[in-house]
Amino acid sequence: MRLLSGICLFAISLHAQVAGLNATTGSKLTPQQRQLNLDSFEKVWTAVRDHHWEKNPGGLDWQAIHTEFRPRIEQADSMDAARTVMRDMLERLHQTHFGIIPSTVYDDVDVAAGEGSPGVDLRVIDTQAIVTHVDSGSPAEKAGVTPGWAIVSVDGKELAPVIQKLQADPAMHELTLERSVLARLSGPVGGKLPVVFSNGANRKVALDLSLTEPRGQAAKFGNLPTQHVWFESKKIENTEYVAFNMFLDLPRIMGNFGDAVNSCLQCSGLIIDLRGNPGGIGGMAMGMAGFLVDKPDQKLGTMYMRDATIKFAVLPRPQVFNGPVAVLMDGSSASTSEIFAGGLKDLGRARIFGTRSAAAALPSIIEKLPNGDGFQYAMANYISDGGKPLEGNGVVPDVEVKLTRQALLDGHDPVVDAALQWIKKQREQK
Amino acid sequence: MTRKLALLALIGTFTAFADDALPKAETILDHYVEVTGGKAAYAKRKTEISTGTVEFAAQGLKGSITRYAADPDKSYAIMELEGVGKIESGSVNGVSWEKSAMMGPRIKSGEEKTQSMREGVFNSALNWRKMFPTAETNGVETVEGEECYKVTLTPAQGKPETAYYSKKSGLEVKRATVAASPMGEVAVEAIVSGYKEFGGVLQPTKLVQKLAGQELVITIQSVKVNEELPPDRFDPPAEVKALMNKPPAQ
Repeated sequence: MRLLSGICLFAISLHAQVAGLNATTGSKLTPQQRQLNLDSFEKVWTAVRDHHWEKNPGGLDWQAIHTEFRPRIEQADSMDAARTVMRDMLERLHQTHFGIIPSTVYDDVDVAAGEGSPGVDLRVIDTQAIVTHVDSGSPAEKAGVTPGWAIVSVDGKELAPVIQKLQADPAMHELTLERSVLARLSGPVGGKLPVVFSNGANRKVALDLSLTEPRGQAAKFGNLPTQHVWFESKKIENTEYVAFNMFLDLPRIMGNFGDAVNSCLQCSGLIIDLRGNPGGIGGMAMGMAGFLVDKPDQKLGTMYMRDATIKFAVLPRPQVFNGPVAVLMDGSSASTSEIFAGGLKDLGRARIFGTRSAAAALPSIIEKLPNGDGFQYAMANYISDGGKPLEGNGVVPDVEVKLTRQALLDGHDPVVDAALQWIKKQREQK
Repeated sequence: MTRKLALLALIGTFTAFADDALPKAETILDHYVEVTGGKAAYAKRKTEISTGTVEFAAQGLKGSITRYAADPDKSYAIMELEGVGKIESGSVNGVSWEKSAMMGPRIKSGEEKTQSMREGVFNSALNWRKMFPTAETNGVETVEGEECYKVTLTPAQGKPETAYYSKKSGLEVKRATVAASPMGEVAVEAIVSGYKEFGGVLQPTKLVQKLAGQELVITIQSVKVNEELPPDRFDPPAEVKALMNKPPAQ
């Protein structure tokens, strides 16, 4: 079987570009685990040495880093201590997408299908956790929760001090902050969670919310933990609105996206809402762009690896939407979301609304370590078509629009409203 | 048994000159045909259906692969990976194409098309002269612990391929080239092993391919030779045909 080049395009687009998978747990050590931690340390160090896009990763003397950290891992007497050593070593790179994912994250999420949710999404606005979306039919909706309500406490613990503490950490991404707060609103499916909200009249409402399956369908992609992936599309006036929470569950999400675009080829415009979307399979950005760009030989950006330079090429589909495209972003839009939005912006094919994205766009892969933990590492740098790295810069919106609690309470999404207005103007000008 | 003896005799002849000057590339390539079954065995083969598994071990991705091929240059392959879906590709009547859940349908062009068409040539080992007008032996290298002749194969159009043939067995051990795609050019190398006989010809059943920081392992489980294939087996999917008929963008 000669498959030397035939599989090329697919293979090189497989890198997962997803941010925000982190957690910590404790664990006791056996002698075997101690050895497995040493083996894991060596695997992590070697992977960075061999796969980082720079020969001197992060400008560091990587051999010296080994000399410094090896004694520390030998002394590590708990799983947490071992993870700390490896994380400290990786933090020297000062780059995102280098992390250790505790095995318990896999275990927890694999049980669950299991991870119960009351059915709300949130954003931290100023210092408050504000409900931005309530899933249809969810326990939260049945209990009367609406967008704009503030979450005061969960399970008896006030959120404000937690948010303030997290926000005080300069290394804290908006994405990580929101995921951390959202994680407090989860638990076993079938369980109940006491939550105190502040409603539209700023009155406290105490609810005992049931926890049900999260929105979407459970999807597995290689070593990534199981994720619940949802896709939503609807018509707003004569504009197609699509949103999805991750670039995963490739066959379903690509199919849904294609169906939504193809069903609306004559629409006034298309809104793609990537707020809160942490990324996923990098190649999906190229595949989706193919529905929106009719010109041949275009690219979203370029990925630089140590031994190869890969263009994120856009291959036009048989049918392409040629109308105005608005992409909605916020600080929780990361990785593949940024590659997609940044590339379309640079190509002049989309106008970006919302707030600056997470600035975490390095292509990475996740491998299992000998000790059972996951190890995420970036093996490439990525430069958007306009010539700027997304890492550290993010996608800057053309039109900055911030969510406000009041707008949400009034039943408005100011970011969607701004995009609709722009599309309307485009139609009028035409 | 007779065939085994014949093979040993051939290998003996081969190693006899191997210690002296480097053998000519055509000798090495023709020898490969002989040790894998001989011209007559190849010539009897008109169709092939290979099935196996595919794995990106580092990423934890597994799936299946089936490839249909027919004389002289038709091919159709379908790979299915969990969480990724189907990736179909083929070459027929001068058209080389691909269709996947991720990228949709597309028609290959330029160097990528040239490479795909070449990979679609049936009985490629037997037909190496048609595919590579120039072949040259460029030394001896150790690959996977085996001393190998390094042969550079240059096609009429496109990038050369480098093949490595075991001095001892005459079997191909590795092939390397620079693959073209819309995403750019990428160095690719494939280590092949686990030769087994299918329809009178020895074929590798394991292929470990490395490109762009990814390692892919294809394991062939069965090869059916000279099975009758439906006449439309190599027709491109409707979406690819639609693209073929689409007027170019302005």
